Order: sequence, then structure tokens, then C-alpha cells
Amino acid sequence: MAAQVAAASRSGLRSALPLLAPAYLWLTVAIFLPLSAMVFFSLMTELPLSGKPWAFTLENYTAFFSQSLYLTLLLASLRLGLEVTLWCIIVGYPAAYVLAKVLKGRSREAIFLLVILPFWSNGLVRIFSWAMVLREGGILDTALNAVLPFKINIDLMYSYPAVIIGLVHSYVPYMVLTCYLTLQAIDDSLIEAGRSLGASRLQMLKRVIIPLSMPGLVAGAALIFVPVVGSFMEPRILGGRTGTFYGTVIEDQFVAVFNWPLGAALSFILLAVVLVILAVASPVLRRAM
Amino acid sequence: MAGVQVSNVSRSFGAHKALDDVSIDFADGGFYALLGPSGSGKTTLLRQIAGFDFPDSGRIAIGGESVERVPVEKRRIGMVFQNYALFPNMSVADNVAFGLSVRGEPKAVIAAEVQGALDLVQLGKLGGRRPHQLSGGQRQRVALARAIITKPRVLLLDEPLGALDKALRVGMQIELKRIQREIGITTIFVTHDQEEALTMSDRVGILRDGKLVQEGPPEEIYNRPKSEFAATFLGDANIFRGESTGNGIRLPDGTAIFAGSGANLAPGAKAICAVRPERIRIFTDAAAPDTANANVLRGEVSKRIFAGNSSTYFVERGGQMLKVIVQNTGVDKLAEGQEVVLRWSPESTVLMAAS
Amino acid sequence: MATTRVLEWLGRLYIWLLLAFLYVPIIIMALMSFNVSPFYQLPFEWTTEWYASLWQNDQLISATWNSLEIAVITTIICVVLGSAASLALYRYEFRGKKFLQALLFPPIAIPWLITGTAMLIFFFGVGIGRGLFAILLGHVALALPYVIVVASARLQTFAPELEEAARSLGANQWQVTNRVTLPWIMPGVIAGGLFAFAVSFDQFVVSYFLSTPGQTTLPVEIYAAIRKGFTPEINAVSTIIIVVSMALMLLTARFFKFGGEK
Repeated sequence: MAAQVAAASRSGLRSALPLLAPAYLWLTVAIFLPLSAMVFFSLMTELPLSGKPWAFTLENYTAFFSQSLYLTLLLASLRLGLEVTLWCIIVGYPAAYVLAKVLKGRSREAIFLLVILPFWSNGLVRIFSWAMVLREGGILDTALNAVLPFKINIDLMYSYPAVIIGLVHSYVPYMVLTCYLTLQAIDDSLIEAGRSLGASRLQMLKRVIIPLSMPGLVAGAALIFVPVVGSFMEPRILGGRTGTFYGTVIEDQFVAVFNWPLGAALSFILLAVVLVILAVASPVLRRAM
Repeated sequence: MAGVQVSNVSRSFGAHKALDDVSIDFADGGFYALLGPSGSGKTTLLRQIAGFDFPDSGRIAIGGESVERVPVEKRRIGMVFQNYALFPNMSVADNVAFGLSVRGEPKAVIAAEVQGALDLVQLGKLGGRRPHQLSGGQRQRVALARAIITKPRVLLLDEPLGALDKALRVGMQIELKRIQREIGITTIFVTHDQEEALTMSDRVGILRDGKLVQEGPPEEIYNRPKSEFAATFLGDANIFRGESTGNGIRLPDGTAIFAGSGANLAPGAKAICAVRPERIRIFTDAAAPDTANANVLRGEVSKRIFAGNSSTYFVERGGQMLKVIVQNTGVDKLAEGQEVVLRWSPESTVLMAAS
Repeated sequence: MATTRVLEWLGRLYIWLLLAFLYVPIIIMALMSFNVSPFYQLPFEWTTEWYASLWQNDQLISATWNSLEIAVITTIICVVLGSAASLALYRYEFRGKKFLQALLFPPIAIPWLITGTAMLIFFFGVGIGRGLFAILLGHVALALPYVIVVASARLQTFAPELEEAARSLGANQWQVTNRVTLPWIMPGVIAGGLFAFAVSFDQFVVSYFLSTPGQTTLPVEIYAAIRKGFTPEINAVSTIIIVVSMALMLLTARFFKFGGEK
């Protein structure tokens, strides 16, 4: 059988190429070449198109390391990513557990669909919807003041917590999805076996269930952490003045300051950070996929 | 209907010779079993006959017409797959109709033929079901109906009963045989189950490492195996090794064993003798003279396994463990450790060259 | 046993709280699109004037058409290219196949901010520039990996003997593909197509960097509006978008199970 496959593979590429070429050509032109070009541009003083003289330079990278602002913002973004990921685990993991191990049959299917449905709806719109809830005189404020006997002012809008809430809302379905898939794969008889050996619920959770669902947790964490570190739209809408992060600075270089080479360098640094994180997580990710 | 001739067919995958100069003649209307361990080339041979793959060299003819370069869809064969390969997106009736439908037969003709085929496999009422709603045995019948509705020249079965449990398998063996007789189609059947090969087929071909080891009616292969492999793969055999005496062998300790049939070997050549466990008779004393059973060996009962209608004794003799099967007549019961005498006739003994 | 029941009950309660967290903001946003007050003031008074005024907003309408057009074209291109690629990855063995499959993950995993800015630089550099065509180029590249992954997942469950069985019954290559293989992967292709539509229709980041004032998509237009100030009109158009995209995903779920349940 193995020999059969090897023999078939010689002619395989010739037959596969016409079917594969259009898709991969497209990906090359629109993803891989742009990413390479970004590295190239990040080493220039000026865009060569603007007609101004340009030269190769490392200035854009030295800017990152010499001006503490960029490093501070990158660290702030990494911290934001970490916090959002942690909240997603805290909120999402129990939900995934209930879905996988408590609910049964059709109600499970329906609720599972409901949990991941928002994820596939427009992210911008969902962030905007939180503005309705969080602002002063918004629903949270009004509702709490209606219930509580004393007057309090809830104005979470344009604050760090608002950014966290919006991002957790955006990404928690990812965590539920990946954890649900690994939790569901754990055989119920395994849990019964553990219980029959005298393990308490907590012991079972700590020693069997969480270790076995680790791939899902790591996959979810990677899938959340990476985009959150690069987020800019969410902090802009919900964070206002406090919403300056690494992503918003990159956005500024492209749409406001028009310093594209610097933006490219900052983007590339972010890409490097992201790739390192993905590489570290990839052995676990591959098992989880 | 047509016979199939395979002549000097070889096929290699890389360095691996899957089929090595195989020639075999499947006569019109016969039921053939291709038997062999996994990796012996039996499935490769079946796929060559089907036309899924072409031989590197050699000729394959169906009904006298060379087909070794004809693709499967033009060969007019019917095939039943190991896991049935029923189309999950079609009903049972549509599955059966597929072969006629791709040919563009009129709908009315197809409907009648489908009903006939389903009746033949006794599933007349299940045409509207989907494959996943059927049991394993029913799927098997649908696959068979689908394969024969196009009136193929040859029916090819790739371990068709492998996925069924034992009881169902025996039932399907009889059923398959009945249907095959009814339509009289040349049938080639791949299996690794020797019992299945013996009970169902008119002729058996044994393959090993891409070579045809022996071919013939099941009784002939069982009674007159031509090699140690054929003797031990199809059924059970006690093998003795020694030097040829022309009409038997001499064991290293000098004991002679007489063989009534087998190869012509020059005296002195390395040779083996094979005897089936059920042909050996077992006695507690050597006194009784027995001229018909000229082969005599002494040994000690080392183990007895009771199996209801028979008992299997393992008798140790000169470092070799011999297997003897005795019908349960309700009389003898030999204790482990007991000295016994084994006797059997030369006619039950086959001489062959050492491999 | 009693504790088990209490824990189960708490579990269910927890799920409902999570669903509330996920849906209440969206529901409130939708309700505010039917409220008279332009400053979202209560008490609630029913109106559809914000929806009516959407019709007067030419900029928004042209952006909507752009979004729909790009999403439809993206879907068609992705379905065709994606099915072909997944069929090739399924059918043939060759060196470097693992590498090609691995190449599908960067477009999914790299933050859109990075891909978006990289596209902007590159398209500018090679003279494609910004605008609807650039946005289409980008959307197809983002959605294509999803389609290939979804269609491949469906193909993984396809038994190659089915093609062989069809051939042994006399079907030619075209009949085999048309009557056996395609019907089998169709749910995967439809699901992949709906994914592609959703990815394109909801895409903000990449469109944002590639759009120009005249050539823009709906999410970019909404972002611009949000940054000028919140208005019930934004609520109205957001509500429409969310209803459309959720309906689309429910439809997708009909064709493609999201893993797990077998």
C-alpha cells in the first residue's frame, strides 16, 4: 500500500497543479507577497512611489527601540491580550464544560449554535452595541439606578474595562468552541472510572479533565491572544482617549501620519511577536486541530 | 458471461513486486476464490481484472477479448467492495439503478430491472430506504444487486463478507452461492478466510508474495498441497523434515515416513512430508498390527483440548509437537503425560520439496 | 445525587447568563434603532424613521451595494478556486503537499491589521492601488483558506471506493464526479461559500486600509460614522447587518456541523 502511494505521488503533482495553481497564486499575490513587501518597505526612509528620494535604513527599527513609547504600547497590547485571554478562559471554559458534559441532545446543539453564532456576525457592530450599554445614561446605568435606592454614576465608556469587556464579548465564543471540542472527546466513562476510584469532583477536574482539555485551552488562547494584540478598532470605539494601543499606533501611521515605512516596521515587529507565539503554541495547536 | 484469462501478469509498485508473473484461467461460470495472507497480491490481482489498475506486463482477457488496457468503466464487470461502497446520497433503489442509469436506459426499463434485482437478493420492499438505514447483511445484498443488474461478464468480490459477524457470514455464503448459480456468472472472490474459500468455491488459487502458489479444486489443494505454504495456509498440517527416500522421507533419527503421493524427488534430497491432523489415529499400545497405516511414531500426550465434537491432542515426539484431531466417540480419553502410538496411512501423506 | 442536580442546575443557569452577556447588548442596540430619541433617551417610543432615513443616505446605500457585490464575487471565486484546490489536495499525493496545507494557516492566524497594512503597501507598490478591486483581492485571499479547510474536512469523510464503485458500474469520469463526488462534497462547498460570504460581508479591517472615500464598504462607512458620533441611524444599519449575518450563519449550520457532533 505504501509503495502504491509512493508510485502515485510521482504523477500526482502534475495532475494536482492545474487545480491548485489558481488558489495558491491568489494567496501569493494577496498575502505572501504583501507580507514580504512589508519587510522591504520597513527598511526604507521614504516610499519610493512618492517621488521623494529614498534610501535603505534601519531607522524605523531603531525608532522602535529608542523611543520607549512604542515598546510601552507593545507591552500594553500584550498585557491587554493576556487579560482578555484569561477572562475568556474564566468565562468560556465553564460554559464549554456545561455544554459538553451537562447538556444533552437537541438543547445542547441549539445552545452551542447560539453561543458561537455572534462570533460569525459583524465584529464592528457588536463592539458598537456595547457603547449602547456602557455609556453614561446607557442601559447599565439606567437599569442599576432603577433598582438601587441611591444614585450611582456608571460610566464605563471610554475606559480600559470597557475595552476588556468588548474584546471578551468578541472572542469568548472561540474559547467555548475549542474547549467544547476537546471536552466532548473525553469519554464519560473516564470520569466515572475516576469517581469510582474515590476521586472528588475537584480532583477529577484538576487531574483528569483539565489536563485532557489542555489542547483546546491552548488553541483557544492562541486564537484569541493573537488578534487581540493586533486590535485597534475595539480600543478606538470603546477606549476613547485611554484606548491607545500598539494596534492604534500602527493604524495612525497608515491613515493619519502617513509614515508607511515606520508603520511597516511596527507591523513587522508585531508579526514577529505573533509568529513566535504561534510557533510556541503550534505543537499543541496541531494536536488540537 | 465469459471466462477470464490472466496470462503472465506482473505489476510492481516501486521496488515492491505486487504481482509476479501470475497466470490463471477462470473458466466461464465458475466460482473462484483467491486466497492469501494480506500483502500476497490477491487484491491487486482482482483490481487488475477489474481495471482499476493496469499490469506492467502480461495479458488479461475477458471472454477472449484483451482488456489489459481497457479502463474499468468499459470492461463490463460487476464489483462488490469490502465495505460495500453504497452511495450514501441515493436510496437503495437508486443505488441499484446506477449502472443502468449512467448507460441512459429508459426509466421504465430501469424500474423493472431494479425490482427484479432487489427481489433476487430478497430485499424487494426496501428500495426506498437509504443505505444507512440498513443492516450490514442488507447492505451486502444491495451491493450485490447493484453489481449484477448491469449483467456484467464477471462478478468480482473483494472480501465481501469480511465486515459481517460469523453467523451472518455463513448465511450470506449460502445466499451468495445460490445467486451465483441462479445467474451462472463467472465469479472471482478474494478472501483471507480459508474456510470461506473451501466451502464456497469450485476452484481456489493461493497467492503468496505476488506469486500463484497453487491453483485447483479445493479438495485437490487440501489433499495434495504442493508446498509447505499451501499445506499450512489452507487447513492445518503436521510437517516432517528429512531426506527423500523416493517414496517418503527419512527423519534425522532414521525413522522412515512413507508418502502415497506428491513430488518425484531424487533420494537424498531435502524433503518434507505433510499429514493432516484428522488423518492420524492414536493408540495406547503398539501391539495391534495395522498394515494399512504403515506410518508409526511413538510419543507422549502433552496437552488435550476438548472441543465438543472432537478433541485435539498435542503429542510430543522427538522435540516436535504433533497435532492429532480425534472425533469424539465417547470412549477414549487420554491423559496428559500418557505414552501413545500414532499411526496413519501413506495415502494421507504428501511428499514435497523442502522450501 | 442532590449535589449533582444542584450543580447541573447551576451549570444551566451559567449558560443562560453567558447567552445574556452575548445577546443583551445586541438586542439593546436593535431596540434603540426603533426608539424616537436621537440621543437614545428613555422612555422608549416606537418609530421606524431611522430606517426610513437610511434610504435617504446615498453614501450608505452605495457602500451597501459595494459590500454585497464584493461578497457575492468573493463567494463565487472562493467556491470555484477552493473546491478545485481541496479536490486536488484530497485526490493526489505529491511532495510538498503538507507545506501547501500549512500555508493556509497564516492568512487565518495573522492579525488582519498586519495583513491589511501589508496589502496596502504592496498593492500601492505594484500599482493596483486602493479601491474596490484591491478590496476584492484581499477578501478572496482571506476567505479562500476557510473554504479550502471546510471543503477538505467534508472530503475527508468521503470513501474513495465510492468513485471506484461508480466506475465499475460503467460511469465515466464526468459521471463519477457529477453524480457521486460532487453530491457528497456539496454541503461542504455550500458551507464554505456561506463562510466566504460572511468573511467578506463582515470584513472591516482589511477593507478599511484598502478603501478610498468613493470606493468603500458598509463596515468601513459605519466605522467612519461611529467615530463622528453615535446616531440611531447607525443602530438601524447595524441591526440590519447583524440580522443578515446571523441568518446566514444559521443557514450555514444547516449544511455544516461545526465539528464535534457526529
